[in-house]
Amino acid sequence: MTAPALDAPVGVDLRAPVARANPVAKLAVASLVAFALLLTVDPVTAGAALGLELLALPWCGVGPRGLLRRGWVLLAGAVPAGVATALLGVDAGAVLVGAGPVTVTEGSLQAGVAISLRVLAIGLPGVVLLATTDPTDLADALAQRLRLPHRFVLSALAAMRLFGVLAEEWQALTAARRARGLGDGGPVGRVRDAVARVFALLVLALRRATVLATTMESRGFGAVTHRTWARPSRFGPADAVVVAGGVAIAAAATAAGVAAGTWELLLA
Amino acid sequence: MSTTDPRSNLPARDPRVVAATGAAAALGLAVYLVGLPASVSLFGTPLADLTLPAALFVAFAGTALAAAVLTRTTWRVVDLVVASVLGVAGGLLFAVWNVAVWPAASGALAFYPPASAVLVGVWLLPAVLGGLVVRKPGAAVYTELVAATISAFIGNQWGFATVWYGLVEGLGAEFVLAVLLYRRFGLGAAIGAGLGAGVAVGLMDSLIYYPTFSAGYKIVYVALAMLSGAVIAGVGSAYLTKALARTGALAPLASGRTAERV
Repeated sequence: MTAPALDAPVGVDLRAPVARANPVAKLAVASLVAFALLLTVDPVTAGAALGLELLALPWCGVGPRGLLRRGWVLLAGAVPAGVATALLGVDAGAVLVGAGPVTVTEGSLQAGVAISLRVLAIGLPGVVLLATTDPTDLADALAQRLRLPHRFVLSALAAMRLFGVLAEEWQALTAARRARGLGDGGPVGRVRDAVARVFALLVLALRRATVLATTMESRGFGAVTHRTWARPSRFGPADAVVVAGGVAIAAAATAAGVAAGTWELLLA
Repeated sequence: MSTTDPRSNLPARDPRVVAATGAAAALGLAVYLVGLPASVSLFGTPLADLTLPAALFVAFAGTALAAAVLTRTTWRVVDLVVASVLGVAGGLLFAVWNVAVWPAASGALAFYPPASAVLVGVWLLPAVLGGLVVRKPGAAVYTELVAATISAFIGNQWGFATVWYGLVEGLGAEFVLAVLLYRRFGLGAAIGAGLGAGVAVGLMDSLIYYPTFSAGYKIVYVALAMLSGAVIAGVGSAYLTKALARTGALAPLASGRTAERV
């Protein structure tokens, strides 16, 4: 496990029913919920979806610690987006706070709450997918179950494995530049040094990529038209249940929004 | 940097490619001119309001598909792996950008809501860069899709929607490279691809994330997104490709073979 996204799972139980499901099933749930929520901005639909997702969490194997560790970035996005909408969004209804362009009204406050809830509800299934899925399993599932072109899927997987190597090279690069006395000279010099290091890392990554390609080709990658798989990816009844759960969350949230009269199609 | 590669096996102005590209663009135009039926409503929205996105989708997807299928160029393993690595690098760029730069920068631009569009070019960079470096049909879409998937996997504010965004942004850049029949990869083509991706992300954003903007704001938003795409993704990628080629790192690729040696 080398990618930063894959460090030792903290607060994650990989034996939970949803965590064990085929990655394609989890992907389907994340897509279904995101699709249902992208159609509308309303607090009832997003809130209902978020509530149902939180209720489902115990079966997903992601505990409170794991959720906090992996989901904080969602909060970092959701709260500012909601605050900005409440302050600067289209004003409607009674003015609650403020004057001039920066006002919080009933309309903009509702929109702000809706946007925050929506970001969280769309992001949470993604957090679970990320926390409980090994990239190798995902690649196997994408190529075998979704029938995506296997050469592309496996190349992307191979490239992801370069993560850890590149982190080491970044350290070496920094040390080498330091030894040569580069990277001094105030804020401007530091920015210039950072750009130079990023570019050098990109060059190193591309050199590794061409060597990796030669290695893969010499072992027969991309040569045969019929590929066999060391790790078969299966989609069973339990996976279908997980997908059905995603359909249920999307449908129930939409139904709640329609029943409350706040659901409104966005693409207008 | 010369714009054509005599050693590549891309069909030079193959009449079938020209015909298919024209047909897809014409089909998109036809959808736009005829319009979707206004009498049919979907959840209270007349379908006619979806005409523009539908027309764009038909034209983009049709052109990219037709060109990708008809150009008999197959991807070599080195093309695949290089595009993947560029995608992963783009995903890392997104991860840093989304957390360290975007919240503060977009906050600073909040005085004029559509102004945040000047920043979207950064998210389009992998699409144009992948297209320019690998020079294969589908390279822009694939690179952007990998970058967006990595970004979603690391975790960001927009969750899984990032993947669909990556697909559409990549198609926007791919469309322009396909219209140029994958024969031109210079500065002009790069700016065009950046503009194409900018149109795609501008329309997506103003429909999905900023539906409450007035029509004037939406037009400004799309225009600024195009500008940002052309400058950051277009000019930036052209410059980066040239610099990478000069190091020799692209030697096994079409873009490295045609680079001038200094």
